[in-house]
Amino acid sequence: MTRKQKRLSVIVGGLAFLGAATGLTFYALGQKASYFYMPADLTTASVQPGQRIRLGGLVEKGTIQRGQGATVAFSVTDTHKSVKVTYTGILPDLFREEQGVITEGSFGPDGVFVADSVLAKHDERYMPKEVADGLKAKGVWQESKSE
Amino acid sequence: MVETGHFALVLAFALSLVQTIVPLFGARLNNQRLMAVGGPVAVTGFALTALSFFALASAYANSDFSVASVWENSHSLQPMIYKVTGTWGNHEGSMLLWVLILTFFGALVAAFGSNLPATLRANVLAVQGAIGAAFFLFILATSNPFIRLNPAPIEGRDLNPVLQDLGLAIHPPLLYLGYVGFSICFSFSIAALIEGRIDASWARWVRPWTLVAWMFLTGGIAMGSYWAYYELGWGGFWFWDPVENASFMPWLAGTALLHSAIVMEKRSALKIWTLLLAILTFSLSLLGTFLVRSGVLTSVHAFATDPARGVFILCILTLFIGGSLALFALRASRLTAGGLFHPISREGALVLNNLFLTTATATVLVGTLYPLALEALTGDKISVGAPFFDLTFGPLMLPLLVLVPFGPLLAWKRGDIIAASQRLMAAFATALAAMLVTGLFIDGTSVFAALGIGLAVWLIAGALTDLAVKSGVGSVAPAVMLRRFAGLPRSVFGTALAHLGLGLTLLGIVATLSFGTEKILTMRAGETVELSGHTLRFVGLYPAQGPNYSEDRGRFELIGVSGSAVGEISSAKRFYPVRQTTTTESGIKTLGLSQLYISLGDEAKDGSVVVRLWWKPLVTLIWGGGLVMMAGAAMSLMDRRLRVGAPSRRRKQAGAEAPAVLP
Amino acid sequence: MLFWVIAAILTLGASLAVLLPLAAGAKGASSSGDHDLEVYRDQLSELDRDAGRGLIQPAEAAEARAEIARRILRLDNADAAGKASARPASVTARLVATIAVLAVPLVSWGVYSQIGSPDLPAQPLSQRLAKNPADSSVDELVARAEAHLAANPSDGRGWDVLGPVYLRMQRFSDAVAAYRNAIRLDGDSAVRQAGLGEAIAGAAGGIVSADAQDAFEAALKLDPANAKASFYLAMALAQEGRKKEATTAWQAMLGTLPPDSPWRSAVEQALAKSASPEVASGAAVKGPDAADVDAASSLSPQDREAMINTMVAGLDEKLRQNPRDPEGWMRLVRSYVVLGKSDQAREALGRAIAVFGSGSDEAKKFTALAASLGLTATE
Repeated sequence: MTRKQKRLSVIVGGLAFLGAATGLTFYALGQKASYFYMPADLTTASVQPGQRIRLGGLVEKGTIQRGQGATVAFSVTDTHKSVKVTYTGILPDLFREEQGVITEGSFGPDGVFVADSVLAKHDERYMPKEVADGLKAKGVWQESKSE
Repeated sequence: MVETGHFALVLAFALSLVQTIVPLFGARLNNQRLMAVGGPVAVTGFALTALSFFALASAYANSDFSVASVWENSHSLQPMIYKVTGTWGNHEGSMLLWVLILTFFGALVAAFGSNLPATLRANVLAVQGAIGAAFFLFILATSNPFIRLNPAPIEGRDLNPVLQDLGLAIHPPLLYLGYVGFSICFSFSIAALIEGRIDASWARWVRPWTLVAWMFLTGGIAMGSYWAYYELGWGGFWFWDPVENASFMPWLAGTALLHSAIVMEKRSALKIWTLLLAILTFSLSLLGTFLVRSGVLTSVHAFATDPARGVFILCILTLFIGGSLALFALRASRLTAGGLFHPISREGALVLNNLFLTTATATVLVGTLYPLALEALTGDKISVGAPFFDLTFGPLMLPLLVLVPFGPLLAWKRGDIIAASQRLMAAFATALAAMLVTGLFIDGTSVFAALGIGLAVWLIAGALTDLAVKSGVGSVAPAVMLRRFAGLPRSVFGTALAHLGLGLTLLGIVATLSFGTEKILTMRAGETVELSGHTLRFVGLYPAQGPNYSEDRGRFELIGVSGSAVGEISSAKRFYPVRQTTTTESGIKTLGLSQLYISLGDEAKDGSVVVRLWWKPLVTLIWGGGLVMMAGAAMSLMDRRLRVGAPSRRRKQAGAEAPAVLP
Repeated sequence: MLFWVIAAILTLGASLAVLLPLAAGAKGASSSGDHDLEVYRDQLSELDRDAGRGLIQPAEAAEARAEIARRILRLDNADAAGKASARPASVTARLVATIAVLAVPLVSWGVYSQIGSPDLPAQPLSQRLAKNPADSSVDELVARAEAHLAANPSDGRGWDVLGPVYLRMQRFSDAVAAYRNAIRLDGDSAVRQAGLGEAIAGAAGGIVSADAQDAFEAALKLDPANAKASFYLAMALAQEGRKKEATTAWQAMLGTLPPDSPWRSAVEQALAKSASPEVASGAAVKGPDAADVDAASSLSPQDREAMINTMVAGLDEKLRQNPRDPEGWMRLVRSYVVLGKSDQAREALGRAIAVFGSGSDEAKKFTALAASLGLTATE
């Protein structure tokens, strides 16, 4: 091989490598990215059972049920529609009724969303401003502790 | 004191403007006096920023709630350590820390840059000044930490409890030292483009700065990962969260820069590429700052959610990235290309390293930005998580890691791949043995485990081989070998340590992912559970009161072989009343290099508690490897060839005779 | 003042950092070629070290040495070709230097004057709490009480005192919490229940909600003569559109209220408003000042003494010894009003005016303050 051919093969090899990497990236984006839905979106979008998605919304009031062991069932709602979710594991600290939550998993054949991860919005600004307000919070807290 | 700090900040902004303009004109007009302004101004600017930062920190320490940022992020009952670390645990304070580090590095260039050509030094300081001016303006306009409240509230709103942790005290400063360290490399690149030439001393300056920045960034990422591991209570050490990616991208690009700068320094080759890489690395640092600070991402770190800030940082981003790339496009052709080399050589290996690393950076970049772009364009919200990166980043890293041990064993210019392979036979045999042992005796079901462990051992053995070969093991007498070993340049140790650390981290990751076990169950006081040969007894829940929180502490006893308790682990649910927030304090027991990890869940009505337990074999190696990599970088920094003196008359005489050495 | 001195010194220092290098004589700078040469020399010596240690083969070393030598030769040629001499300072350079020197004070003082708060001293918490209570503002007195309660949250009396103060300061949700705590810790009383009701109504922007009604009804059960509860319950009726019943209730109140009751005027106002069409608007419901005064004065005297009285008394005493302190007088008057001691407030106002003379500027300020607090001088 002449020097020119060598250089050419190096360049072609590099380009082939980059091409393969690009292809792989876009293939992976198509296959492995999970879409985010709110319960109301699910009526229009077609989500197959088993397809991995992220489901977000508020934890509906009065729907949290602790079942056997560490399994928890609750509903995620966007105030229009709600979806039943089951999850086995420890819920995040900020998980509570009427708080924002993102669950990741897929629908079972029975239409119940089986989540393998649950994230609550981990952001202090999510707290109502009044609640966080200095002494008042203390007063409220004292109260709820004793009641 | 507070207003003095505020004024000092404004004054530092004024000085950064001077630092931008005067030396730039000086270099352009070749005016010594104008160029000389850069140094003292950079040092004074740093002193003023430090004064400002000190004023803010003391306001935090003294709970001065007349300062809005203190009121929002501190509380008088907080322990003193978190009062102080709270200074940078919020948006405003962390940006002040950012410019503090920036001006500090600028001052270092000013103080130790006497061995740089005057125009290069002036231009570098001018670019540093411009970055500083942009960020000072950003702080003053959108994130002023010195905004006052009158009348002052008597109590603050407390720091986000998740951030009340020692990990937070260390994580951001390290990360910023890394991010901002790359600004020096960036400034050197822009200065070279402005001048249209790359001095020989250029690489000698850029390389140590890359090392410094890379070292701190490695530490910052490792620290952040460990913090997430124990503080968030999920037991994971890496989530491919956009914020993590934001720090990982500059690290990958910085690693590439670290390697290409060696080629440039040793062989004057890859000049233009190195320059571009330096620009890209700092651009990615800026992008990271943007992603975290603008609040475009909603995650743990997005504690700034103000659109004005986002737009401002985006402008800074566009200005610096766009401006520098445009300058690069205009001027790069004027720079002369460097030396030639054979594809199979040290240079060739480093080019390959760069190819893999930059491609990997690009995949992480796509994975991080694609969801944002898609949401902006179509409104579809997608999440790109571990499955994507496993499929793209993984395959890219695999061949790179296989090739790592070859690099240091190849000669410059023209290498001998066969000789290098022969030297690596022992390392290869060790790795193969490790692979077989894993597959046959530990876990025969997982190909990933066997391959991963083999690869990790290959890296570790390869790094040791490098040291052994260079000290002449097997070819010289033991005494000579020892003397040679002691006399090896520090940078050789640096390389070996860094590659060794990489192997250790990989070993930790593979072992934790493959052999780790996990259990979720509800437990009552007195019950025991077994996990990977360890027996734990749940002693019970005990309420306790901290300075600014109350907690329910679940205590567990580790039962030894004899049936008696050999250790205690406790995990707690903490409640912070001021912010009405609950956090989980995970319980971790380190046994050798492995850890038992307990995370406490909610208490059920019948008094039982949800408990999640993990056995994480060799998990400490993940971060331990990071420390070893940092040690490698520190070792390289101490290499004496990075210390080049300023030209003096006598030495110049000697230098002029240098061509006589020609053979 | 000290701040301005420090600011001036800092500015001077910063300006000197710009000025001194400009004023200094230009040092003979070495050309970049000299620097390159230095690096190449260093590379050569490093090469020798490596070769000596056997790290690289002799052949490789020779090749590398030749390469470095070639770079040095190239450097000599380049240097010879483009030796630029330092030009003397041009007009542009002088202009840039002047602008730079001026920019430092102009930019810093200009920007700071826009965004700074030079008159605001630092206020470390410990220092604020260590201050003589008599010098504290009402806010600080409240804050002090809050700090006390944060440490002793089961001090019912403290909550009892703070409740009406919060109401007065329009911190309604704080007031709700304070009243609730007081009731929980020290038991029910008509005054507390009525206060709670008023706080709930205030937090809802004046709407007497079901919760508030419950509280008022509880108050009436404990003390059927509680004027506040009757007043607000009638207001609730008016808000529900049952105007006639409201008017009847108010008129009944007028019949039973003692002639000097501060509620009289409030009821009369309400009756007058209910005659006009928009009776049920939230704004009309806002408790009249007299009601607030009543809320504060309805506390038992011991409670007042327990918390804030000593502090205010301290201020009073200080002003007797050192009367020429207009700020202090204003604070005293305000404190008395907040505490609901309108008589003492009037008395203090009279004394203050007497100290400075009734025609003085200070006296005008005092009367203006009194008017803004809903206080009328009684002379």
